[in-house]
Amino acid sequence: MTDQPQDLSKLKEDIIEVIASEGMVDRSKVTPDATIESLDLKSVDIVMILTALEEKFNVYIPMDGSLQEAKTVESLIDAIAQHIQKERETQ
Amino acid sequence: MPASRGGDRGRRVVVSGMGAVCASGVGARRLWEAARDGVSQIRPLKTERPYDGRIKIAAQVPDFDPAAYIEPAVLPFCDPFTQFAVVAADEAMAQAGLSRADVAGPRTAVIMGTGIGGMTTIEDGIYKYYVERTRPDTLSVPKLIPSAMPTTISARFSALGPTFAVGSACSSASQSVGIGLQMIRAGMVDRAIVGGAEACVINATIRAWEGLRVMTPNLCRPFSKGRNGMSLGEGGAVFVLETAEAARARGHAPLCELAGYATTSDAKDPVRPDLDGASSCIALALEDAGLAPRDVHYVNAHGTATHANDITESEAILRVFGDYGRDVPVSSTKPIHGHALGASGGLELAITIEALRAQTVPPTINFLEFDSSCPIDAVPNAARAHKIDAAMSNSFAFGGINAVLVVRHA
Repeated sequence: MTDQPQDLSKLKEDIIEVIASEGMVDRSKVTPDATIESLDLKSVDIVMILTALEEKFNVYIPMDGSLQEAKTVESLIDAIAQHIQKERETQ
Repeated sequence: MPASRGGDRGRRVVVSGMGAVCASGVGARRLWEAARDGVSQIRPLKTERPYDGRIKIAAQVPDFDPAAYIEPAVLPFCDPFTQFAVVAADEAMAQAGLSRADVAGPRTAVIMGTGIGGMTTIEDGIYKYYVERTRPDTLSVPKLIPSAMPTTISARFSALGPTFAVGSACSSASQSVGIGLQMIRAGMVDRAIVGGAEACVINATIRAWEGLRVMTPNLCRPFSKGRNGMSLGEGGAVFVLETAEAARARGHAPLCELAGYATTSDAKDPVRPDLDGASSCIALALEDAGLAPRDVHYVNAHGTATHANDITESEAILRVFGDYGRDVPVSSTKPIHGHALGASGGLELAITIEALRAQTVPPTINFLEFDSSCPIDAVPNAARAHKIDAAMSNSFAFGGINAVLVVRHA
């Protein structure tokens, strides 16, 4: 099953919400071109974000290269969204 | 063969015997054979209570019956982590050719590492109290304390010297071995029973590990492209250390010399590996052994297969070894025995010693493709015959404690 584009944009919106709330960052700062560094997200914050996503979407997101190498919010969201979609397909 | 070290660091110390219990079963030999032949011991997870987590694999000790090894009077005091340590200690003492009478007294130290201690006892006790509304096992307290492991071994062999547990997460066993080495060099004791054990492949603990996102849902593939984390393991490894002179005097041929040790702290991020901390530890261990990088012909890496560790560890090796860091064989055996946390450094030292003795480098299995961010020779998928004069074993822990050991031919 493939996600419709609107599903994907909704998914990305949800991910941004979680990043803002769990990373304790102002929602307006979480823009696609913002760097992760600019949001001052530490590795522990990323872990908190992923844990919340796991509970929200019922998926396991391992820390692989795509997540670790993400420099911008956009690439981080894309990597997370990909994991979630892949997991949904196998469920 | 590098020149023998001068007397500036005290007495020369050898490993006279070793023992191991882990996912490959009971016996250091079995562990080595699994590592050399590249046979992963990571299997479907088995838990006594239903597990609802997402990680379904672990490197657990198979078909282990502690009653077959430990007396009925002692067993009730032994959490699984102590059981593993006692069985490994018996094997190490037998290989060292030492009886209880030989090591009894104040000149024998027992220093054993564990990340957590009696996690099974802790978790079972909490489950009984909160869920079943009964009480924890009466012997919970003496069973779960990390020092239960060294004190049980101390009592077993009447070793009256310095006895304590080291709790430095994944560097626990390596630090314990190193402290034993330093104590013998300094003349505080004549011999030391050292190593580490861990047994925390149990529901709530695995769930907590899952939360850190360092576990692979499928295959552990250190240094490879596509790696996505480690698998939890359990077990114990024990080594008997003594002076080279003492071994010679009683006509015992040791396994190897324990030539160098160093430990450092990152003092930075508790869960992110650090290049400065890791590389300084490797450099100091070489210096302690009196060896140049080119004298080391095998590195048993910490190699957790997390994205970050493997990059940092590769960079640390290159920083210290220079160009030779691209050529020296570096393998991670964690896909074989899992990441046994406080026991890992011990299991990996046992493999490193066997590699030195067999002149064979064990492979890094599950390797898919070279990753340019880990520009080392990871010995992909197949063992390699190789001349090894000295070998190194790395441990880098959460919290930022690093420990590196160096062995060479006695």
